Amino acid sequence: MDTDISIGTGNPIDRVEGRLKVMGLAKYASEFNVKNLAYAQGINSTIAKGTITAIDTSEAEKQKGVIKILTYKNADKLKHYEEELPAISTSSIQPVLQNADVHYYGEYVGLVIAETFEQAQYAASLVKYTYSEKKPDIDFDSSRGKAYKPTEKSDYSRGNIMQGMAEADVTLEQTYNTPIEHHHPMELHAIIASWNNGDVQAYASQQIIDDATITIADTFQIEKKNVRVIAPFVGGGFGSKLHAKQHVILGVMASKQIGRPVQMTVTRNQMFTNTNLRQRNEQKIQVGAKSDGSLTALSHDTLSHTSTYEEFQESCGTVTKMLYKTPNNKVTHRLMPMNLQTPFAMRAPGEATGSFALESAMDEMAWKLKMDPVDFRVKNDTQVDPSSDKPFSSRLLNECLKIGAEEFGWKNRPQEPGTKEEGNWLVGYGVSGASRRAPYQKTSAKVILELKDTKVRATIQMDATDIGTGSYTIIAQTASEYLNISVSQIDVELGDSDFPKTPGSGGSWGAASFSNGARAACENALTALEEKSGLKAADAGIAKMMQAGNLNLFEAEGTAEPDEEFKKHSVFSFGANFTEVWVDKDTGVFRIKRMLNVASCGKILNPKTAFGQIIGGCAMGAGMAIAEQTKVEPNYGNFITRSFADYHVPVNLDMANIDVIFLPEEDKIANKMGIKGVGELGITSVAASIANAIFNATGKRMRDLPITPEKLIVAQKEPELLNW
Amino acid sequence: MRPFTYTQAKTIQEALTASANNTEAKYLGGGTNLVDLMKEDVERPSQIIEVADLDFDTITSNDTGGFTLGAMLSNSETANHPDIRKNYPLLSMAMLSAATAQIRNMATNGGNLLQRTRCPYFFEASMPCNKREPGSGCGALEGANAKHAIFGWSESCVATHPSDMCVALAALGATVILQKPDRTSRTIEFTDFHRLPGEQPEKDNTILPGEIITAIDLTQPKFKTNYHYLKIRERSSYAFALISVAAGLKIFGGMITDIGLAMGGVAHKPWKLTKAEAFLTGKMPTTANFEQAAKLALKDAKILSENEYKVTMGKKAIVRALEQALAKTA
Repeated sequence: MDTDISIGTGNPIDRVEGRLKVMGLAKYASEFNVKNLAYAQGINSTIAKGTITAIDTSEAEKQKGVIKILTYKNADKLKHYEEELPAISTSSIQPVLQNADVHYYGEYVGLVIAETFEQAQYAASLVKYTYSEKKPDIDFDSSRGKAYKPTEKSDYSRGNIMQGMAEADVTLEQTYNTPIEHHHPMELHAIIASWNNGDVQAYASQQIIDDATITIADTFQIEKKNVRVIAPFVGGGFGSKLHAKQHVILGVMASKQIGRPVQMTVTRNQMFTNTNLRQRNEQKIQVGAKSDGSLTALSHDTLSHTSTYEEFQESCGTVTKMLYKTPNNKVTHRLMPMNLQTPFAMRAPGEATGSFALESAMDEMAWKLKMDPVDFRVKNDTQVDPSSDKPFSSRLLNECLKIGAEEFGWKNRPQEPGTKEEGNWLVGYGVSGASRRAPYQKTSAKVILELKDTKVRATIQMDATDIGTGSYTIIAQTASEYLNISVSQIDVELGDSDFPKTPGSGGSWGAASFSNGARAACENALTALEEKSGLKAADAGIAKMMQAGNLNLFEAEGTAEPDEEFKKHSVFSFGANFTEVWVDKDTGVFRIKRMLNVASCGKILNPKTAFGQIIGGCAMGAGMAIAEQTKVEPNYGNFITRSFADYHVPVNLDMANIDVIFLPEEDKIANKMGIKGVGELGITSVAASIANAIFNATGKRMRDLPITPEKLIVAQKEPELLNW
Repeated sequence: MRPFTYTQAKTIQEALTASANNTEAKYLGGGTNLVDLMKEDVERPSQIIEVADLDFDTITSNDTGGFTLGAMLSNSETANHPDIRKNYPLLSMAMLSAATAQIRNMATNGGNLLQRTRCPYFFEASMPCNKREPGSGCGALEGANAKHAIFGWSESCVATHPSDMCVALAALGATVILQKPDRTSRTIEFTDFHRLPGEQPEKDNTILPGEIITAIDLTQPKFKTNYHYLKIRERSSYAFALISVAAGLKIFGGMITDIGLAMGGVAHKPWKLTKAEAFLTGKMPTTANFEQAAKLALKDAKILSENEYKVTMGKKAIVRALEQALAKTA
């Protein structure tokens, strides 16, 4: 039976929910058939800072189908923030429509509830607002004076960075910029909310079900047990659905006010203004090294912005603390409150952006040292996390780099930039190393076993979510492995706050957490059945045990959580990315020709879904490198890239053929099943790999993302190239 | 979206009559631009008159030895039509570089000529824009203008025309045929069809109220061998041109005897490079001459705060498009 790929983990089986999805039967938040539904449409501010002085709803109220219009004047009173600039979390409160103040362009200033979506949308356009406008803080450079240190943990240092730089034979100091980006999952944020005598039921597109119930309960100041959130399918999140945003609160409030269920969908245009963003990061890196390539100093100073009403810090310097061995290290983060919406975690927060800066700088240093950039990284490897002095649970970064170099044909890369031509194209190759924390969190699950005739059917329930990653499939595979029955005998039910609690999907902790939670429930079921039946699971199998115990139905719950070994180690996934680019000699046009991603992320539960995670990450990393950018209008503070025609993500033609190698590995320190996170490792360092390849092709260092033809055509070659 | 009434015209007479009765009506072709703008509350017609099913959906040979393109024919059908591929490959190439396959399947030839600018100030109803709301000012003039014009702009408007098809038509030369409300027809030279913004940026072109484009006339086949459409954009599909160049050459006896050269992404209309054309006519097709022509073409460029790169990119694009055109062999 060991060769039966329908049993157990590690097999590339098709998604168990795939058929539902292609048949349109997988229901997403706004698709549930709820009777007597009304529709709500948010109204957005058209100034970036100021106060509302008058609201005229008369024209809108006259329109057919309009049920109610909510503004700060008649909105429910919600819980207020208790401090200035409270830190935003995945479960923090989301007050909305509480006063006349406007903090950013596009902020919700009202809500129209109507019989149809079209009626609500049209009426929303007719509500007239008069503002007393103030000059908004929307310019990054002129906000520098407002920079502050958010928390004590925002800074870190070991050794002495000045001394490390002084001891170095070769030094580098450069600044790297990443622009504002938006998450933009395919499925729009949406909710269908029903308020019934203080009980809330919400179909809501959320990554973390339990935290969504907390945000709703705390914001309305009701008991968490009175809130039920349901999300069996989530069409992507990338971090934007970690936290229940204001539309969730507005949907619930609307239902409370009109006594009917209400659907609220955030439009694609509103996805730019009402669902968080990744803020612009200005990252200054200093590197010092001896002429043999050993690092003497590394520092990473990040300047970013937060909103004027909430605080979020993306820890770009995380990667610089731990990736390479260096005695002298300094990391700082500073924030500037600006009249832009609150930023929040976007795919691989910290690592995706921080690795662009660090891995670009490492490439620049290798070039200055006249070292191969693979060798330079290998030389500075460490098996102990220098920021915590804990050993890594496993770290195969060097293996990723060496195996990748071999498979990619790295040795044929010309070390001197701009020397390989193909017609009008300059060919270049880039590499980067990657790391992504592999968190694993307390997770519970329930297993329900039913015996019919001689066959067992198992149902796993947990409030985990499948955000397109393959949670249903890997949980089914896990249950199959521990119950030793076919995947086809297992049903997985997710995304309901009535089910056992999990950390939800985010931070690449889902796979390890969900699987171990399901494992624990299955192991508990087997132990209990062994007691009841007097049989051994390994010999008898689950059906015989139930028969012997005279059981037709049996339930068990289990919880898995990090153990002492986990806490004694630093647990990360590692990887390397190799890219070939072709850059036109004259026009600024370039193409990504091929990419190889080598990943070391513990046991791979399903090579097919894991492959999808990595190539998806690479595509998003390529988007970050060459396309994605939200531009702020310099005088008014609105976003001028406000649709998919203007906010570019790569198209198929932009993408290369991506090869993925998973290093065979089981990290039993990380957790009992040996699993580490996959998804976010894929995006990490891709942008640096592409930028480094462009340097190899042209001699131009592109330190401001995205790299576009208009930037590339005016960029100058590195001055040192002349003396190289 | 605002409420509107919908009228399906079965004949051109029905369309013209419906339009004459309502000055707020708009004709609907493929809807790929108009409907988008209605959703954005930029276009606010009280009536939609669908003309996509009218009979002007063929490609026929005309008495100049060329071909006539029906206005209601889709961009895909036009670009892939054997007569167009064979006789005007420059047009086919330009059209196929536009938008996406899905949009090209819907978009009509007449509608392509009438598509409106992608300027973000035009699209955002709360921003100043003289094109959308005359007298409200131009937000881009001293705002975000990296993708805006370097030729022919005015203080009132610095927007560019977004079409690829029209750049090729400017290079090839064509005539636009219109049906007037009085049911007679008139023609406009293609290069006179679109206009510069001047003091009236709300007017993209010289079409008059109620008129319908019925066809585009092309004279005898041109640049069947030496042609190229170069489009520089931020991604490989579904992106408007930062700069585009349509180049057609006729080479005889080692000399350029005929040339068509036009640029996109640089002005309120497809920008025909008449000085460069004149310079190269009768000269040898050398890189040195191409570079001279490119320099001449960009001499009058007037940059805005964020679009200086377009001058460098424009020169490089002209040279490259001409070289690529020259390199093609029958």
